[in-house]
Amino acid sequence: MEIILNFPCISILLAMFSAIISSALNGKWAKYLNTFVVTAVGVLSAFTFWYTYTTKNSYTYVMGHYPAPYGNEIRFGSLEAGMALFFAVIMLLSLNGGRKKIRLEIAPEKEKLYYIMINLLLSSLLALVYTNDIFTAYVFVEINTIAACGLIMITEHGRTIEAAVRYMIMSLLGSGLFLIGICLLYDMTGHLLMVYIHSSITKIMAAGTYQIPLLVTIGLIVVGLAIKSALFPFHAWLPDAYGYSTVSSAAMLSSLVSKGYIFLLIKLIYRVIGFRRFYESGIVNVLFVFGLAGMIMGSLYAIRENDIRRMISYSSVAQIGYIYMGFGLGTSIGMVASIFHILSHAATKSLLFVSASGLTDVSGGHKEFQELTGAGYRNKAAGAAFTVGAFSMVGIPCFSGFISKLLFAQAAIQTSGKTLPTLIVLAISTVLNAIYFLKTVIRIYTPVKDDKYEAVSSGKNMLYLVTLVCFIVLNLALGMISQPITDWISYGVTALI
Amino acid sequence: MNEMLLSFVVIFPMIAGICVPWIPWKKRAHMLVFLETAVLINSALMWILLFYRPAGGVTLFHFTGNLTIAFELDGLGSVFAGLVSFLWPLATLYSFEYMTKEENEKLFFMFYTITYGVTLGIALADNILTMYCFYELLTLVTVPLVMHTLTREAILASRKYMYYSIGGAAFAFIGMIFIIIYGTTTDFVLGGVLDPKKIADMGNILLIVYVFTFFGFGVKAAICPFNSWLPQAGVAPTPVTALLHAVAVVKSGAFAIMRVTYYSFGTEFLRGSFAQYLLMAVVMFTIVYGCSMALKETHLKRRLAYSTISNLSYILFGAVLMTPLGLAAALSHMVFHAFMKICSFFCAGAIMHQTDRHYIHELDGFGRKMPKVFAIFTVSALALMGVPGLCGFISKWNLVVAAIDSKNVLSFFGAGCLLISALLTAMYMLTIVIRAYFPGEGFDYESISDVKDPNWMMIVPLVIFVAGMFIFGLHSAPFVDLFLRIAQGQF
Amino acid sequence: MAQILLLPILFPIAAGIILLLCKEFKNRKPLLIYVGSVLVITGICAVFAMIQNINNGVAAFYLTKTLAIYFKPDVLGCVFASVVTIVWILAGFFSFEYMKHEKNEKRYFSFYLMVFGVLLGLGFSGNLITMYLFYELMTLTAMPLVLHTQSREAVMAGLKYLFYSFAGAYMALFGVYFVYKYGTTLEFTAGGVIESSVLRQNTTLFLVVTMLMLMGFGVKAGMFPMHSWLPTAHPAAPAPASAVLSGIIVKGGVLAIIRLVYQIIGPDFIRGTWVQTAWMILTLVTVFMGSLLAFREPVLKKRLAYSTVSQLSYILFGLSLLDGQAFTGSLLHVVAHAFIKAALFLTAGAIIYMTGCKRVEELRGIGKGMPVTLWCYTIVSLGLIGIPPTSGFISKWYLATGALETGIPVFSWLGPVVLLVSALLTAGYLLPITMNGFFPGEGYDAGRFLGKEPPLLMRVPLLIFAGLTLLIGLFPNVLINMLSALAELFV
Repeated sequence: MEIILNFPCISILLAMFSAIISSALNGKWAKYLNTFVVTAVGVLSAFTFWYTYTTKNSYTYVMGHYPAPYGNEIRFGSLEAGMALFFAVIMLLSLNGGRKKIRLEIAPEKEKLYYIMINLLLSSLLALVYTNDIFTAYVFVEINTIAACGLIMITEHGRTIEAAVRYMIMSLLGSGLFLIGICLLYDMTGHLLMVYIHSSITKIMAAGTYQIPLLVTIGLIVVGLAIKSALFPFHAWLPDAYGYSTVSSAAMLSSLVSKGYIFLLIKLIYRVIGFRRFYESGIVNVLFVFGLAGMIMGSLYAIRENDIRRMISYSSVAQIGYIYMGFGLGTSIGMVASIFHILSHAATKSLLFVSASGLTDVSGGHKEFQELTGAGYRNKAAGAAFTVGAFSMVGIPCFSGFISKLLFAQAAIQTSGKTLPTLIVLAISTVLNAIYFLKTVIRIYTPVKDDKYEAVSSGKNMLYLVTLVCFIVLNLALGMISQPITDWISYGVTALI
Repeated sequence: MNEMLLSFVVIFPMIAGICVPWIPWKKRAHMLVFLETAVLINSALMWILLFYRPAGGVTLFHFTGNLTIAFELDGLGSVFAGLVSFLWPLATLYSFEYMTKEENEKLFFMFYTITYGVTLGIALADNILTMYCFYELLTLVTVPLVMHTLTREAILASRKYMYYSIGGAAFAFIGMIFIIIYGTTTDFVLGGVLDPKKIADMGNILLIVYVFTFFGFGVKAAICPFNSWLPQAGVAPTPVTALLHAVAVVKSGAFAIMRVTYYSFGTEFLRGSFAQYLLMAVVMFTIVYGCSMALKETHLKRRLAYSTISNLSYILFGAVLMTPLGLAAALSHMVFHAFMKICSFFCAGAIMHQTDRHYIHELDGFGRKMPKVFAIFTVSALALMGVPGLCGFISKWNLVVAAIDSKNVLSFFGAGCLLISALLTAMYMLTIVIRAYFPGEGFDYESISDVKDPNWMMIVPLVIFVAGMFIFGLHSAPFVDLFLRIAQGQF
Repeated sequence: MAQILLLPILFPIAAGIILLLCKEFKNRKPLLIYVGSVLVITGICAVFAMIQNINNGVAAFYLTKTLAIYFKPDVLGCVFASVVTIVWILAGFFSFEYMKHEKNEKRYFSFYLMVFGVLLGLGFSGNLITMYLFYELMTLTAMPLVLHTQSREAVMAGLKYLFYSFAGAYMALFGVYFVYKYGTTLEFTAGGVIESSVLRQNTTLFLVVTMLMLMGFGVKAGMFPMHSWLPTAHPAAPAPASAVLSGIIVKGGVLAIIRLVYQIIGPDFIRGTWVQTAWMILTLVTVFMGSLLAFREPVLKKRLAYSTVSQLSYILFGLSLLDGQAFTGSLLHVVAHAFIKAALFLTAGAIIYMTGCKRVEELRGIGKGMPVTLWCYTIVSLGLIGIPPTSGFISKWYLATGALETGIPVFSWLGPVVLLVSALLTAGYLLPITMNGFFPGEGYDAGRFLGKEPPLLMRVPLLIFAGLTLLIGLFPNVLINMLSALAELFV
């Protein structure tokens, strides 16, 4: 079974080369290739996951012929592999959910480019998940940014171009800060591989030197990645970017791209900085406050929205707030809750985007609530799926959102001093979520007397239907059998080091 | 076997309800027979369970860790379950007649019947997580009932109802988490489950959390300042307002509060704390506030809804006394108020159904034209006021005696509030009665010649409720005794 | 045989309900025969029950384990019940004639019968809760009598009556709870039911409670500051109803206060406290104010109603002195005032019935046409003023001497002074009618009154009342001996 150890590397390369090959293909074949690659990556990751999970071990895979401490490495345990698997699954589902729509959203000659970008995105995500080298991480962060920009502006809608520019500026600011952080680290430690940086830092700390530069470095890295993952108040680009790009792009951007950065941050916290030091640096408190603010503000923005896509986008701001709030608690159970929420939010948000597109399609393409009245009857599958997503967001028991909420709350209670603020903000945020999501649910199930728009039967578009069913099952699975998943995450977190 | 029945009575109505819209009914009557049979079977099973109580509980599945979805029938639960399962078949019968004038019956009956199962789920819940789950579910399945008429008003009301309820649950969630972490178990145990070792130095935080939980569940029990959804939800069809917004839903809130107060946080811990005084003050305010608003209201159903607000706080007042006597009194008012209020709501519904009149000033002279309905309404009004001989008196008596017994000066004022509220109740109920019977000199009865009593489907439930009010009022000893034994944990 | 006690209570109530449920009668005759025989039979039963000498009382049934509906005809109760019986039967026969010109006779008589039973029940009540029960029922069943005419004015008066009464009843109920909780029993016991040690520990509490209960029961007895319902409600009713309202039902409040002060709390606890002082002040204010308002009132029935306010506070003042002599006086005045005020209202009724005159100034020269009526009026008026040889003189004599005897600073002389002034005012508002009636002045044409003497059914009750007033005034000893014995037992 040793061969499985090659799979992570293979999947990264597969995705990257498929991007290059796609440029020589036409749109249709690029689509097939892309589907194949995503599926293949999923299968490979599944094998890796199975292997690492059963052996309960994490493996270092040397890239090229330079051994450590100089060469480039991939390192993977069950958490990384599971994450990669999850990303691949969500990506596949998001793509399938928007498959039919893509033809309307982008010009046919651009379709090829679209799939190239997606392949690049996949490869960069995988690399962020797997890499053990911070400079490699930086490189793929940039690739990721560029791919994401492409995905945003490919619809050539005026607002997406503006959003892409904004996104570019913000992202580059973030990666700039991240790069400075890396430089400083390299300067202080002389290493780029995470494990070695960690041991050097331990020595530095023991010696008592470089205290302030180290703090600055941690700050730069964290803030850089936080900007890139749209933590409040760095979210200005987000609603336009998610709201007007293609369905699949929105689903992927919200559920994967920002999560890739967050996962990278988790790895850096555990593997480079060290959890205790991160906790003692006080940065957690900053993250905590911004997380809480994000939870409230995101929802408030969402309530004000009159456009379903933008509303869902703003909801992402709130959800990212949850995740950073989990970091901010500064305990390992808080971290577990955050990671669970990465999964839960990814599954739910992409579901929402995909189902929302189904609803807008049967409302003449309008995204305003007024027009969406009764859409749940016109497209029953999308309506049901949206309802599931909304319930999950509000935290109704049996859906995945409830478990995240439960985990966050349990983590909060065991963190003295942050208990009550967290719990109260959590409750308020639930109320706010209920206000905008359930309002939409009621809206789409309010029948209209004069049917302006025609209903579609869900049997027509099997792919879409199957995607929605998969999403719902995924959501319910996360909600109902969460125990193995949380066990796996808490084990995986300890195995990160 | 008995244990499995516990989950059966919860799930069976849900399945029966979900079936309704999918079966192609040839005749309306078939659907009605099907539903009534299903509901009756379920109620019969529930009552069998009450008399042959299964010793243990049943765990449906493990949620995460030690959190389970589990059912068990204990004393408190059996009171609520018994109450609900007694009223449901009658309300279903009533709604058959009522719904002849409304649209979308199938959907209505689907959710109406599902709610039965969900309410029983709350009653039978063995631990706080199960209760929380069914509590949330209750909100979701009752929202379609509130927005049934689909007017703009109904949709706004249902939205408000949903926001309030889910918001409340979100705060109750905090309490649940604390119980999960700091309790020795999540099951309900009379006297509380807080682990004294773990909570040594967190008294105040826990009290604040208790206050949150109280208000959270209190939203459903329409505690001030979270009460405004209830009168607005009166736009729903009357069977909903009567059964859900006077009994099942709102009493679930009160029931949940009793659960967390007596069975999770524990009265030992709460008694004499600032939390108790704060909540008592709020509850007392709600009692008077609800009545005053009822007096101001001119819409019949909304007036009754405000009355419900006040009466629910009677129950909560009993609960926050934190004594066994208080709990027993709260339970008795929970049961008795259910009879009184469902009866008066059904009368209001009968009036609306028969005559399409909604406002009190339109009811002049109805006493002569609808003698049965108004005789029954008068009885329920008297019972609500607390005239001796009817059930309202007994529960009020128990409440005040419990208040005095608790030797807590604030509760003396609570007793005063109850009596002020009784006076206001007399005002807002009897003005209706007097208007109906004494329309004024030279009233032209020809102008309301279209008004007449409804048919047996509506009258039979009403008569049963009246009989219940008299039985509880005149022969309350066994019931009150039972409630007291439950409150002392001997049942 | 003790159960015979229940007969005079339940029989008229049942008879009234049956009458209410009957179809409308075609002729008056069967209705009158029915009502008349029920009245007489009930009277006979009541007399039987009283002479049965039932020492242990009868517990009809139990509301809760400890709350018994318990009847025991003690001397006080028997006095009350006899007065009720006499007045009720006589006023009943009077209304046979009077109600000819009113609508809805059936309803009137059915409630008339019910109140009869309820009042006997009130008199025979053996414990506080039974009394409270009948007290509430009295309020409710008397209400249709008040708003019988259904004019806007009457309905408003009925509502006012109702809400004041309930306010009072609930204030009293507040105290009942405390008595129940702290007392040894709820049964009426001379000297009080609460252990003196318990009273000492909770002095403030019980003083407040006593004051509240006094004010509460005082509402029914028209005590300041909650008196204003009385002058509105009593005149609004048909005359015979006003007669029993003013003559008897207000005495329900007096009876309750006697029971409360002398048999529940105990006079020793109240004596010398601020409660007694406050009570005395309130009664004296009421006495004076009532007379003054009556003096200014031009409408005869209203004038009589104000007079009731004033006269009842005579009684209450006597009670508030907590002295044997004054107590005797009070009870005497209860009896005397019942007959007198009934007679006065019946006179007013007879005048309205025969001539339609309502205002005092219209009555000039009425003595020419209705000499018998006016003579009766004059005799009872003298009684009310307190001129020998009428009953009023005896009672006021005892009141005044009792007041002087107590030696309470200020009040022992202020009281008699106020009483005297009020007696002067009484003369001032009652006697002008007699004078103008018999001596309309030179050249006044009283022709329109000629031949208006009321029929026999009306005249006989009037004559009997006048006769009773004289009889008690002339031969007071039987009554005085009985009441003094009672006073010795109580004080």
